[in-house]
Amino acid sequence: MAESVIRLEDVSRYYMMGDFIVKALDGVSIDISRGEFTAIMGPSGSGKSTMMNLIGCLDTPTNGYIDIDGENTAGLNEAELAYIRNRKVGFVFQQFNLLGKLTALDNVITPLLYAGVSTRERKQMAVHALERVGLADRMDHRPNELSGGQKQRVAIARALVNNPTILLADEPTGALDTRTGGQIMELFEELNSEGRTVVLVTHDRDLGMRCHRQIHIRDGKVEA
Amino acid sequence: MLIENIKLAFNAMRGSKMRTALSLLGIVIGVASVVAILTIGDSASKSITESIAIGGLDMVSIYPSSGQRNTGIFDEAFGDMLRNDIEGIQAVLPQNSSTARVRNGKESINASVAGVLSTYASTLNLEFGEGEFFSSMDNINRRQVIVLGSAIAEELFPDQVVVGQYVSLFRSQAKSYLVVGVLESKDPSISLSYNNSVFIPYNTYSQRFIRTNGVGSYVVKIAEDYDTIEVSDAITEYLDNIVGTDGYSIFSPASLAEMAEQITGTFSSFLALIAAISLLVGGIGIMNIMLVSVAERTKEIGIRKALGASPNVIRGQFLVEALTLTLLGGILGIVLGSLLSYAVTNMLDWSLHLSYTSFILAMGFSMFVGIFFGWYPAMKASRLDPIEALNYE
Repeated sequence: MAESVIRLEDVSRYYMMGDFIVKALDGVSIDISRGEFTAIMGPSGSGKSTMMNLIGCLDTPTNGYIDIDGENTAGLNEAELAYIRNRKVGFVFQQFNLLGKLTALDNVITPLLYAGVSTRERKQMAVHALERVGLADRMDHRPNELSGGQKQRVAIARALVNNPTILLADEPTGALDTRTGGQIMELFEELNSEGRTVVLVTHDRDLGMRCHRQIHIRDGKVEA
Repeated sequence: MLIENIKLAFNAMRGSKMRTALSLLGIVIGVASVVAILTIGDSASKSITESIAIGGLDMVSIYPSSGQRNTGIFDEAFGDMLRNDIEGIQAVLPQNSSTARVRNGKESINASVAGVLSTYASTLNLEFGEGEFFSSMDNINRRQVIVLGSAIAEELFPDQVVVGQYVSLFRSQAKSYLVVGVLESKDPSISLSYNNSVFIPYNTYSQRFIRTNGVGSYVVKIAEDYDTIEVSDAITEYLDNIVGTDGYSIFSPASLAEMAEQITGTFSSFLALIAAISLLVGGIGIMNIMLVSVAERTKEIGIRKALGASPNVIRGQFLVEALTLTLLGGILGIVLGSLLSYAVTNMLDWSLHLSYTSFILAMGFSMFVGIFFGWYPAMKASRLDPIEALNYE
C-alpha cells in the first residue's frame, strides 16, 4: 500500500443560498496515494471545483476531515492554511492566473517569497523551474507578451517551484487549442512519471481517460 | 520581503500614474505648507532679531517717569551708582532728548535732538562719515556744537561738505550750532534711528532746553560676556526697590527680540497646526486610493493567497504601499516647501533658515498618516476570501 497524500473522510461542504442549503459536496471519502495521476471528473455543478478548493486548502469543509500529506487540516487558521498552500500544493488554473504586472520570472518567484527563501536561491530555483517547462528564453516577458500555452507553462513552473507534494490542476487545457492542450497534458504526464502526484479536475472525458485513475463526481457524491 | 513590497508599491503607482499623482497631491500640499510655514516663521523671527541687533543687543534704555524727574534720584551720579551696584555694566550714558526743527537757511527738517556726553560715540561704536564727535571740553564749556545724522545732513546740505557749516536749532529760540561731525548712514532699525538724530553736548542741552538737573533717560551699555536680558532683569529688580515699578520704564532691544521671537514662534506653530489638518485631509485621499486599489486588485490578492500568502503578508504589502505613497508625498512636500520658503524669504529679503525640525515633523506625520489611513484598506485586503477573490473578474 502506497503512502496516502490526500485523504478525504466523509467530507461535506454546504452553502447557504438564501433560505436553501446547497450541498456542493455531500459525504465524500477518497484516498489518493503518492505518485498517482488522478482525474476528478464530472459535469459542471457536480461539486468537483468545491472538491479542488478543499484539497487545495482554499476552503474548509462543513463536516469531515481532510489530511494533506499526512497532516490533518481541521481547525487550522488562515495563516496555517496559507502555509500548506505554499509548501504542499501547486495550483494550475484554467485561466492561468498569472500576475499581469510581473515578468514570467517574478511570477515564478512569488511563492518562494512567501516561503522565505533567500534572494539568490529564489532566482536559481525559479530559473530552474522555467527551464524545466521549456521557457528559459521567455523569463523576462510579461504575461501579455506570451501565448496561451506559454502562459500555462509559466503557471506550471510557478506551481512546481516550491517542490509541492501535490500538483492540483483545474481544467488546465480549457483555455487552449487542442494541440497546445495536448502539449500541456504531455508535460503533466512527464511530471507524473518523475514521481509527482498530479490531480487533474476536468469535465473533458478524453482528457480524464489519459489519467491513470478517474474519480467521478455527480451531485456532490462520488460515483462508484 | 520589504524590498519586494516597495517594488510592488512602485509597480502599482506606475500602473495608475494620474490617480497616484492626484492622491499624492494632498500629502504634498500638506507637508509643503507645514514646512514652508515653520521655515518662513523661523526666518522671520531671525530677521527681526537681526534687524533689532543693529540697534544694539547689548544695550538697555532706562526712562524715569515724569514724576521722578525732580526727586534727585535720577541725576548724573545715578549712572555711577548703577554701575557700582550691578555687575555687568560697562557704561551708563545719561541723555536728554526731544524733537526740534533743524534749519539751514530755508531748508529745515524735524529731528530728534539728544544731549549726550562726549563718550557717547565711542561707547556705542558710532562711525563717522565726516568729522568726529564733540569733545569733553565742548561739554564742559557748553559750546554750541552739533553732530548730524546722515539723513539730516543729506537733507540740509545736499552734496556739500557739512563739517564747518552752521545750523540753527529751533524750539523756543533759534541758536546757531557749528557742525563738527556727520554720522555714517546705518540701516534703519526698529529701536534707534541714528540717521534722523542730531547730537549736542549734554550741558549745552541742559542749559538751552530744560535747565534742571534731572536726566531724561539713560543708555546702559552691557559689558562683554554678560547676558543683556539677565543684566536688564537685575536693573529692573534694583530700580523696583528704589523707586517702585511706576517710577521708571526700561527697554532693551534684546527683550524686544525675545518677544518678537516668541510671537512669531507662537504664530507659526498655530499656522502649522492648521496646515497639519490639511495633511489629515491628504490622508483621507490616501485611504481612498488604497481602497480603490484593493478593490481593483481583488483577483491579484486571490492569486497571492492561493500561492501561499498569509493574511499578515497581504496586509504588509498594502501597508507598505500606503507608507510608500505617503513617504514619497512627504519628500516631495519637503522639497516644494523648501522652494516656497526660498522664494518667499528671497522676495522679502530675509535670510533663509531651513527648519530641519519641520522636515522631521513632516516626515513623521506623513508616516503616521500612511499607517493610520492605510490600515483599514490593508485589513480589508487581508481578510478577503481566497476563492471569492480568485473568481473575481
